[in-house]
Amino acid sequence: MKVESTALSGSFRDPSGFLFWDENRLFRQVNETYREHYDQLIASGLYEKLAGAGQLVEHEECDLKLACTAAAYKIIRPTLLPFISYPYEWCFSQLKDAALLTLAIQKTALEYGMSLKDASAFNVQFVHGRPLLIDTLSFEKYPHGRPWVAYRQFCQHFLAPLALMAYRDIRLNQMSRLHLDGVPLDLAGSLLPARTRIKFSLLSHIHLHARSQKRYADKPLRSKQRPMSRFALLALLNSLENAVKKLHWRPSGSEWAEYYGHTNYSDQALEFKKNLVADFLQLLNPRHVWDIGANTGVFSRLASQRNIPTVALDIDAAAVEKNYLQCRRSGDRFLLPLVGDITNPSPGIGWENDERISLLQRCPIDTVLALALVHHLAIANNLPLAKIADFLSRFCRNLIIEFIPKNDSQVRLLLATRDDIFPDYHECGFEKEFQRYFTIERREAIAQTDRILYSMSSRVHAGK
Amino acid sequence: MKSIKNLGKLFLLLLAFCLLFPRYSYAYIDPGTGSYVFQIIIAAFVALSFAVKVYWHKIKIFVVRLFSKRKNEG
Repeated sequence: MKVESTALSGSFRDPSGFLFWDENRLFRQVNETYREHYDQLIASGLYEKLAGAGQLVEHEECDLKLACTAAAYKIIRPTLLPFISYPYEWCFSQLKDAALLTLAIQKTALEYGMSLKDASAFNVQFVHGRPLLIDTLSFEKYPHGRPWVAYRQFCQHFLAPLALMAYRDIRLNQMSRLHLDGVPLDLAGSLLPARTRIKFSLLSHIHLHARSQKRYADKPLRSKQRPMSRFALLALLNSLENAVKKLHWRPSGSEWAEYYGHTNYSDQALEFKKNLVADFLQLLNPRHVWDIGANTGVFSRLASQRNIPTVALDIDAAAVEKNYLQCRRSGDRFLLPLVGDITNPSPGIGWENDERISLLQRCPIDTVLALALVHHLAIANNLPLAKIADFLSRFCRNLIIEFIPKNDSQVRLLLATRDDIFPDYHECGFEKEFQRYFTIERREAIAQTDRILYSMSSRVHAGK
Repeated sequence: MKSIKNLGKLFLLLLAFCLLFPRYSYAYIDPGTGSYVFQIIIAAFVALSFAVKVYWHKIKIFVVRLFSKRKNEG
């Protein structure tokens, strides 16, 4: 059956419909059971309002002949997104902006007689530098008097991880990777410091909420539950919005966020390197770029400013936070900063390890920037140069890579506390291993340093 | 024939039950009983401050008028 062969692996929980591929085109089947809600979304003007405001993904209605099953009511074709990222790859402000977007959409939906039936962080993506709701089927007719069914999900997907990141440790954004339906509130409550109990918003929406969940665990919902007025629902949304807005995290003092404040090369060398990278990009003219170990995105911007969709990946949440805030300030539409460790990339998780796909499955990519990265992989992570070259040759078509020799102070620092067990880590050794997988197109020394910048093309992708 | 009548009665009884005790149709995700009950309580609590926020302008005008009226009377 078509539905089995082409449906997206992560699109199965909601019976309202599902996404599927057909000849490299992405479609969404809207099922008959969702008919009245879909019709209201369109007829009420809510879709037009949200899509027009850039808050909901745009779509066009297509021929019903494309349907995968007899249950189809409509087939729609949503705008294809340049890249899919997940909440555990976002920095603090990205998750916060996604949370505020969800609440803003819910408030607008209520004005149009509709409500969000889920509040999953996975339904939000970053497109052109802004968060965007991508699930058109997340809306349902608002039954007057009914509480918000997605309240628990909102607290678990957004409020709890944000509070943990703000009050405990920024690295706890990884909790969303462990708990696909959001961080359990009892766990969040036990990890949060005691002082969060004197903050009304966190006391109520996390600590007391968790106690209520425990008290009512395994108890069914009574059929005659007390109704909740629309005004009370708006008050709840206002309270959640205040709770999210009050959460702040300021990146400071982290290793990488201050990187460019104390690099070991001069302003002239930095400028020279920027011009060189820009020249290489000009020649390659890539369709998309990934900057691995991007730090705050100084070099990523050389690509994004040329309107090239660019992903800036860095392990340090503080550097990514700084990068994202700068993108937001400057309105950069082509740069997507993400938190990620290339030595341990996001795996495939969820049902059959296929519900949220791995970082490497979201590749290959046109051009990779790997600047001041190889010494971290080879020396700090004991990765043989051959393995690095092999991986990168499969990962991308073109590579702009910097080699930093052992006499550079950054490398000396890495070797200061350990034995030098890397006899092959030198310029010749680097070129020898990389030439097995790449053709070196250009090789330029970076002025006033001993570093070398290369432009290479992958032999694996040659001719493809 | 009798069994059809009984089925009809049962149907009417079920219909009356449904009309007397309307159930909300819940979404595909589990809202969680504890979360459901808790949000009604917390919403009632925050509704007061929300009302003050929403109607602040009207409250302000009412208070100003009340005091200016007393002043005029005095």
